[in-house]
Amino acid sequence: MEEEAETEEQQRFSYQQRLKAAIHYTVGCLCEEVALDKEMQFSKQTIAAISELTFRQCENFAKDLEMFARHAKRTTINTEDVKLLARRSNSLLKYITDKSEEIAQINLERKAQKKKKSEDGGKNSREPAEAGVVESEN
Amino acid sequence: MEGVGAGAGFRKELVSRLLHLHFKDDKTKVSGDALQLMAELLKIFVVEAAVRGVRQARAEDTLRVDVDQLEKVLPQLVGERGSRRQWRCPAGWP
Repeated sequence: MEEEAETEEQQRFSYQQRLKAAIHYTVGCLCEEVALDKEMQFSKQTIAAISELTFRQCENFAKDLEMFARHAKRTTINTEDVKLLARRSNSLLKYITDKSEEIAQINLERKAQKKKKSEDGGKNSREPAEAGVVESEN
Repeated sequence: MEGVGAGAGFRKELVSRLLHLHFKDDKTKVSGDALQLMAELLKIFVVEAAVRGVRQARAEDTLRVDVDQLEKVLPQLVGERGSRRQWRCPAGWP
């Protein structure tokens, strides 16, 4: 029994490590863009630190989001919950709200395109399966 | 990936896994739109940290952004996410 528990813990740990590695890669790319734009380099430790920070922030975000949805008596987190996360800063909230509308608009156009394609006798859609439930409510 | 923003960004699947890792309830789900928006939020978070690090490095006249510079800008970043206006450079850099 003890061995099983250990393996489970190890599995969770190595899973987390893989996620952190993925974060690290994206953070590296983003910092590279900033570095080019601002003409200033980042040390490797800085990139690692930002990655770690991002990973930890996700925990806060996830728990908050879950609570927001539950408060609204939903099990599915939607864009309104995400906007609540951004409430502390006016400029961030505005940016996120604008992005939210942009995303909704793009998805709407995509659906319209898909519908047109299938109506014209086109075959399968190009879109990969989306993780989670797709909702169009706002 | 998505055409919402040019350049690098967080993939939806990664964001989904990161969030699900910390949910208390198995039944909790995330809508596709919310995932995309979270990807944007995370991107801003990272870019903001990086940009503030650069400003700090410039204020200190160092050649690159090290953890020393990052540490100084972290409290504001984590406490007040994205509130650019409130940052004031001690050296008077614009």
